Amino acid sequence: MLMSVPVLLYVMLFNYYPLWGWRYAFQNLDLSTIKKGADWIGLDNFKWLFNERLFWLGFRNTLAMSLINLVFGTVSSILLAILLNEVRNRTFKRTVQTVTYLPHFLSMVIVVGMAQNMFTTDGPVNRILMTTGLIDEPIWWLGRGQYFWWLVGIINVWKEIGWNSIIYISTMTSIDPTLYEAAAIDGAGRFQRILNVTLPGIKSTFVVLLIMNIGHLMEAGFEIQYLLGNKQVYDFSQTLDVFVLEFGIQNNKYGRAIAAGMFKSVVGIFLLFGANFVAKKLDEETLL
Amino acid sequence: MTAIPMKKRRAKKRDVVFPIVNGVVLCILMFITLFPVINTVAISFNDGIDAVRGGIGLWPRQFSMEAYKSLLSDKLTYNAFGISVARTVITTLLNLLFTSMLAFALSRREYILRKLITLAVVLTMYVNAGLIPNFLLIHRTLRLSKTFWVYIIPTMFSCFNMIVIRTYILGLPEALAESARIDGANDLRIFWQIIFPLCTPVLATVALFVAVGSWNQWFDTQLYNGSKKNLYTLQYLLKMKLATSMNTTNAANTSVDALAATSASKSTPVTVRCAITVVSALPILMIYPFLQRYFVTGMVLGGVKG
Amino acid sequence: MRKLLAAILALAMLLSVTSFALAEDPITVTVFRGDPGDQPTDDNKIYKMIEEEFGIKFEIEFLAGNLDETLGTKLAGEDYPDLFDGGNSAEKLINGGALIDLMPYITEEGTPNLYNHIKDLLPQLVNENGELFIIPNYGINYNAQIQNSCNGPAFFIQKQVLEWAGYPQIKSLNEYFDVIERFIAANPTNENGAAYEGFAILCEGWRHFCLINPVQHLMGRPNDGEVIVNVNSGNWETTTFINQPYAKAYYAKLNELYNKGLINPDTFVMTYDQYIAKLSSGTVLGMFDQTWDFGTATAALETAGMYKNTFCALPLVYDESYGFGKIEEQYLNGSVPNKDRGFGISVNCEYPERMINLFENLLSDRWQKILQWGIEGEDYYVENGRMLMTTEQYNHRQDASWKMANAALTIWESAPKKQGTQDDGNAWAHSDQPENYFNLMSDYDKAFLSAYGYKKPADFFNPPCALAPYGEAWQIDKTPIQDDYDKFNLIQDQWLPKIIMSADQAALDANWDAFIAEINPYCEVYTNYMQAEVLKLVEQATR
Repeated sequence: MLMSVPVLLYVMLFNYYPLWGWRYAFQNLDLSTIKKGADWIGLDNFKWLFNERLFWLGFRNTLAMSLINLVFGTVSSILLAILLNEVRNRTFKRTVQTVTYLPHFLSMVIVVGMAQNMFTTDGPVNRILMTTGLIDEPIWWLGRGQYFWWLVGIINVWKEIGWNSIIYISTMTSIDPTLYEAAAIDGAGRFQRILNVTLPGIKSTFVVLLIMNIGHLMEAGFEIQYLLGNKQVYDFSQTLDVFVLEFGIQNNKYGRAIAAGMFKSVVGIFLLFGANFVAKKLDEETLL
Repeated sequence: MTAIPMKKRRAKKRDVVFPIVNGVVLCILMFITLFPVINTVAISFNDGIDAVRGGIGLWPRQFSMEAYKSLLSDKLTYNAFGISVARTVITTLLNLLFTSMLAFALSRREYILRKLITLAVVLTMYVNAGLIPNFLLIHRTLRLSKTFWVYIIPTMFSCFNMIVIRTYILGLPEALAESARIDGANDLRIFWQIIFPLCTPVLATVALFVAVGSWNQWFDTQLYNGSKKNLYTLQYLLKMKLATSMNTTNAANTSVDALAATSASKSTPVTVRCAITVVSALPILMIYPFLQRYFVTGMVLGGVKG
Repeated sequence: MRKLLAAILALAMLLSVTSFALAEDPITVTVFRGDPGDQPTDDNKIYKMIEEEFGIKFEIEFLAGNLDETLGTKLAGEDYPDLFDGGNSAEKLINGGALIDLMPYITEEGTPNLYNHIKDLLPQLVNENGELFIIPNYGINYNAQIQNSCNGPAFFIQKQVLEWAGYPQIKSLNEYFDVIERFIAANPTNENGAAYEGFAILCEGWRHFCLINPVQHLMGRPNDGEVIVNVNSGNWETTTFINQPYAKAYYAKLNELYNKGLINPDTFVMTYDQYIAKLSSGTVLGMFDQTWDFGTATAALETAGMYKNTFCALPLVYDESYGFGKIEEQYLNGSVPNKDRGFGISVNCEYPERMINLFENLLSDRWQKILQWGIEGEDYYVENGRMLMTTEQYNHRQDASWKMANAALTIWESAPKKQGTQDDGNAWAHSDQPENYFNLMSDYDKAFLSAYGYKKPADFFNPPCALAPYGEAWQIDKTPIQDDYDKFNLIQDQWLPKIIMSADQAALDANWDAFIAEINPYCEVYTNYMQAEVLKLVEQATR
């Protein structure tokens, strides 16, 4: 058990020691005061945040986009892992795996740039929908706020589906093959084997990842909204992280940025404990 | 009497249909994911000024290597490549070692402080002190700036990966460690000789995560080693080249200068961006097919039996 | 034996000469530049000359990510380079106490070049305490300012539209949109069948000036950012213009065009890349922008031989039918010192005198020619006293990999420099030299200009006016009212496109009123702040 000690010391130094910096949330820290030490201003930074309409707008959009991302990201990657697990031809399987994980390595700038060209009023998406008769008028995808969250969801799923499925693929390797044989002998069809053998086999990984990700719901990413968003959809695209960049870091108000970070941490931890508690009640695998 | 063969026939038929449907679905998925990737490669091999107009599909419209030439003609690129490889290899090995060590410790149910320590470690994923306190720790307290070690030391442990490994170990039969303990093996031996080899698939997964993360990192170079060009990583150097290329065209004041700038370098941010993606992703992409050999079903339990 | 002796002697002499040339100990100076850039090669031609003459080597760090974040960490860690260029956020360095005051080092006797460089502008450059932290890197002119073309804001129109209309003089907004409308009616698509777009408006990020700024120019003022300053009244009355009736007139005109189908709604959500792609395809007939902002598109069009699709800059104003009186255009402004931008010397620098001495020497005529033109015979040639470049030499100076080995780019960009005209009549900047400019101009452009009877593109414009004593108001630091300023911008970015896309006059009026109600409080804060700052600057300049 001694071998965990150095790692623990490491975590203390690199993760907990810098939290001393949270004191800045209660100071009016900017660049000119950063050296001398800033004045204590109590809860002013938090008060400012909680009174700011854009802060709560960012909070809403962050939660909405992370939820969409979590649900569709998880479902799609598990689906892909299951489909791959059913492939018998090893070369085909490896090819699909490798190809689907390629987009993970494209930068967001490139991916979003392509999406922006796809979704213009005279772009391919509108043209396909018009020729198939699904719509009569082109849809202004990029200028109407109600589509924004879903566009982000689609792009994220597309970009990360292969990457996110890796962990499930590797977990499926630990399933005892004799279970499949036994199921086959019992006359279970393919669908039933997936339901009764594959899914239970990845359940603990799924639950643990789900709990961790629920704790991360305050992190909706930053780049994709910043790149895909524009001022016409601002009320739907602006996330907490964009808000912090615009009204904290670029405005020289570091105290605010750190206060917002603390808020995110606290909400995240609450969500984490909540999810863990529910899992425990349901008698599932838990994280803690 | 006739019911049973019917059922059998239907099951057989379904077994033919499913793989075909499955194959088609996966092929469509491959096409959807592959198209933008090929498009990126095509643009990277296109003439820079022509590419500005957009509308390039799966093949370059005017073939040109200029975007690559501007990247690969710089001697710094090769040094940066070496640094990137070194940091990725060392970080992956050390991170794998420390992370799996703690994962093993926290998977032993008899460990008294297990719950408390798990909580302490898990919470690190959700608390973040922010940029400046972290910078001050590494720059001022630990004095790691302007050294190679700043790439290694702060990234030797990963909580997410620890949880992934721990979950995997917990899924292994407890009896294995028990029988070893009865044989008189100590913790270290159980870890090295029994658990570690059994975890190959999950370790391969985690190695991939760590390696890709380390390879793609550029921000630490900017923060700590921006003034040491011999310690530049490939990602940082390429990011800098892209930023510069965007800057040059902006800085050209007159249309005459802009024309001269673009016709002299023959590459534009549009092509440079894509060439950079190819150059920076290609080396790390090689890792996955290599690691896939460890993702073979049944390998784990086969190992136990053998 | 004798030969060997001689050789040793020669070697010793050589060594003593070189050590003599290095008047001071060789040092390595760390440099930060708040812009991205390429690392110069180890054997860079110009840096080698600097090293030989001054014994100074540079270790340069460029910006790769977010400037504010990077400066924040450097200030927090007191991790300063010797020479510190904070880019567009340099006031953070000054406020953070990272730089030393340069005034004690600049004297008429000790550093005559630097002294003469800034002496006329000193009241404007120093702060309230008489301190100067950064010598402007651009905008200080010697002799006459050279203006070949309009490099800044203007309304742009494809040259083919003017050619088609028989080279008319377009002076007003109405004439401009009228000719575009008539052209599209006659030619709805180009030769490839792609539809023409009448007018594009780039709204992305900080480039939203294409949406917001035109009104002040239509009212006859050069670029002051978001305010109009009444320079003729004694009290320098400063007002935001976006909430005025004369702004509504512009957006109502755009609304008219939108409803005629001449503006594509995608224009309000397009990215800069998409904008450049559109301009490069030659289907956009007009826009308001600044010349440097779409250089890539111009280059793409010219390279493809699509000269008629390149753009002509026009200085438009409201005609009298708008009821704002008779307005004379004034787009071009006197050259503006780039205040607080460039190198500062950090408090960590051990050799401030040598740094000042370096700037002093680099400001000499000989070094200015080396930095801006290169080496005579290699990078340019002289004919009848005129400094000239072949096309190859000119293109070299724009080539990234050539510059890495043959130009001291960082030093040239961030250190104080001479602009305007040399005493012998040559331009200080190689790109300003009229011969270089015209040699590179296409035959199409030459013919286009002569159809108008003009010699240079700047002839479409009135000559630059004298720079106002406050400079250009967009330069004023808005940090103290940053929150309100951000909201001020956000409201404009959100509402103006909505106003332009209004379905009819009633909707337009309703949208405009809603916009005014929302923005007025911020206009007030902004106006008050800018008014105070303008007055402060005027008072300083006339002190």
